[in-house]
Amino acid sequence: MSEARTLPLARRDDGYDTGVPRSWMTTRVDYVVNWARRNSIWPMPFGTACCAIEMMAAAASKYDIARFGMERMSFSPRQADLMIVAGRVSYKIAPVLRRIWDQMPQPKWCISMGACASSGGMFDNYTIVQGCDQIIPVDVYVPGCPPRPEGLIYALMMVQEKIKGESLANDLIRSESADAVGRPNLPPEVIELVAQPFGNSTRQNRISGIERTGAVERPRDRIERLIEHRD
Amino acid sequence: MAETDIETVQPQLITGALRPDSLAGLPAVEMLHRKFGGSIRAESIDAAGVPVLTIGSDIVHQALSRLKTEPDLGFDFLVDVMGVDRGAGRPIEVWYQLWSNSNGRQLRLVAPVPLDDLTVPSVTDLWRSANWLEREVYDMFGVTFDGHPDLRRILMPENYDEGFPLRKDFPLRGRFGRAEQVRRALNRAMDDTYAREELAMAGLLDEQGRVTGEFEGAAMVDVPHDAEPTDLVDGLEGERMLINMGPQHPATHGVLRLVLQLEGETVERCIPHLGYLHTGFEKTCEYREWNQVVPYTDRMDYLSPMLYNIGYALAVESLLGVEITPRCRVLRVILSELNRILGHLLWLGTTAIDLGAFTVFLYTFQERERIYNLHEAYCGARLTTSVTRIGGMLADLPAGWTTACKSFAEGIDATLDECERLLTNNSIWLGRTIDVGAIDADTAVSFGLTGANLRASGVAYDVRKARPYLGYDAYDFDVPVGRHGDTYDRYIVRVEEMRQAARIIRQALERLPDGPINVDDPAVILPPKSKSMASIDSMIAHFKLVMEGLQVPAGDVWYSIEGSKGELGFGIVSDGGSKPVRCRFRAPSFVNLGALSYLVEGALVADVIAVNASLDIVLGEIDR
Repeated sequence: MSEARTLPLARRDDGYDTGVPRSWMTTRVDYVVNWARRNSIWPMPFGTACCAIEMMAAAASKYDIARFGMERMSFSPRQADLMIVAGRVSYKIAPVLRRIWDQMPQPKWCISMGACASSGGMFDNYTIVQGCDQIIPVDVYVPGCPPRPEGLIYALMMVQEKIKGESLANDLIRSESADAVGRPNLPPEVIELVAQPFGNSTRQNRISGIERTGAVERPRDRIERLIEHRD
Repeated sequence: MAETDIETVQPQLITGALRPDSLAGLPAVEMLHRKFGGSIRAESIDAAGVPVLTIGSDIVHQALSRLKTEPDLGFDFLVDVMGVDRGAGRPIEVWYQLWSNSNGRQLRLVAPVPLDDLTVPSVTDLWRSANWLEREVYDMFGVTFDGHPDLRRILMPENYDEGFPLRKDFPLRGRFGRAEQVRRALNRAMDDTYAREELAMAGLLDEQGRVTGEFEGAAMVDVPHDAEPTDLVDGLEGERMLINMGPQHPATHGVLRLVLQLEGETVERCIPHLGYLHTGFEKTCEYREWNQVVPYTDRMDYLSPMLYNIGYALAVESLLGVEITPRCRVLRVILSELNRILGHLLWLGTTAIDLGAFTVFLYTFQERERIYNLHEAYCGARLTTSVTRIGGMLADLPAGWTTACKSFAEGIDATLDECERLLTNNSIWLGRTIDVGAIDADTAVSFGLTGANLRASGVAYDVRKARPYLGYDAYDFDVPVGRHGDTYDRYIVRVEEMRQAARIIRQALERLPDGPINVDDPAVILPPKSKSMASIDSMIAHFKLVMEGLQVPAGDVWYSIEGSKGELGFGIVSDGGSKPVRCRFRAPSFVNLGALSYLVEGALVADVIAVNASLDIVLGEIDR
């Protein structure tokens, strides 16, 4: 008894004691639980566009994610552990995405597959959410348009690595506030900040997005116009 | 042994009618002049050889009605209805693209509608395909169609209040900041996600038409058939049930949402909701240069991307008046047919999964991986290929590619045999597909179905035969045609189409000529790097093309090819600039899906899965 009291208490990230001693027992239980969790992840395929086809390819004969214990695609969010957002997320489907995420029980993870899900990709326009992390928290982002199945498999392995480091004693990252249900994942000022367009390669106007589509004026035309104007 | 009533036919090719030299003597034009001479404001022939008549918007219904019903004209297909906004306060144009399958003629009516009175008579009573097409024009341009039975937004949320996205005065990124857009998206009310009709069915509207409650899954309510949307329906003791299928459902092939009213197991009403994947392709393409549009095209139909690449390039080339090289033509045929197989294979695999046969999915994906390898060897990407450039292709074929393609085209038949052994005479498959979702030829034409869905009903309309492009008339292939128009015929027709596509590939590989892959026109195609570093002319051409972009002469065109889902049309307007003014994609599965309610009403819930799968939809092009 006295020995147990001298063991350091597991600390939550915010510095509060959880009251559970970090003992040989808890680390062993963590090991077993994490081993079971990471080798039987049931993905919830939130496939919308091109990436969903690569996700299907990852599940099919050549790539076969059954090797990771993940072939059991769970189309019901209530029996799923891992949401794979594969494809573009429009504002019309954003509430659906948030709702499905809220319906998934803890512990749960999320992979944002492809450029559109991660940042809006090539669709910086009126209808596409500029990154699904504005709606739900994301663990792993996969670049690519679409990522190859190998990319998705690598992301799955990164999620497995992440699960390895988790502890039952530290349940803070698994706690969800009831206020968060149906709310954006990021505060408004952060959304504005991360949604800035990249460079000016497409010569768009940040304020309005309106740009003339007319003919590009060639130097000869301009000279002719100036001559006409002078007359 | 199931009775396969599939026959292969050679549709009659009516030559001479396809590309008229002048409008004089065309019966449709003569008739319109005779009847509505005063209302015809302009006439021309567009770059694809389609006669175009600009008419007053008041005579739209009368003119279209005559064009459809007069026997010697017989424009039985309303292929497309689209809007064009040229900006600067000019009237919004509504284009009606027509096709007469019996006479082999195309025609386009253009009705300019002034901005202060955006009203056109609806033609939903003439063609059932007009229903969704007109709703889309209303959604995107705000043009009201008089007499439309169900005029509400189709792609944007129903209560979307920011305006009409494809108008020129609508900003590309919407009217609000991103944070506000996210906030609005997550705070949707009930009437944003449900049609008034559905809320009435669920008993959630009070007498004033206000929403009174929260929709909670399957509400058991009894709705009289003649109920007004505002009628108060009380009691939960009825036997009808209102359920949501989708938008996140494994068997809707994407984010399609169907609201089904059931009586027991029978579907009484099916109300599809689209737009969950609305990506703003058409708007975004107006802000991209002509060649920059190509990567957008393959993200619409990601199941057979190169067909979109090739169709778009052909449409713009017809505006430019560029004749592509012989090698490029044959290569495009090979890639088109390869992608037709790619699209149909995915359809076969997923449809089999939906009906409970998993093995076929694994077989088809093996073949798809072989096509992906060919894609990868050619362009580096597996499915977002972007292979075409205006005037050519991104590169010539790598060494050994034709040999690999040949061995694929010779091996595909064996896999198809294997799949057919599993399905064609399988009693479960037969039970789930025969006489399920049947549609007769006339109704299919009225719904504007194209592709395998139409041919399964017995109409031999294939753009490759009716209006040959890329020299398709020089290839020996058949068009499979069904008889019953049910799910089983659609399956058989698609499998046969894959065999015919492989046949075309084998022929094309034999005759692939040597020579350049790109046109020799410095105003269209970038000169090779070695040349632009060595000669001043090439360097100037390179500089101009990079800095100014490709300039496409002012003009309109509506060009279509045979996609893997049906007739794939491109309505393109140029003002002579480096970017399109309007880039319309006539997505075949958008029009095909319009028939879904007709096909499933009265059928069982399980048949909804079979019928929806058999239509071969891809939400990327439906929602665009």
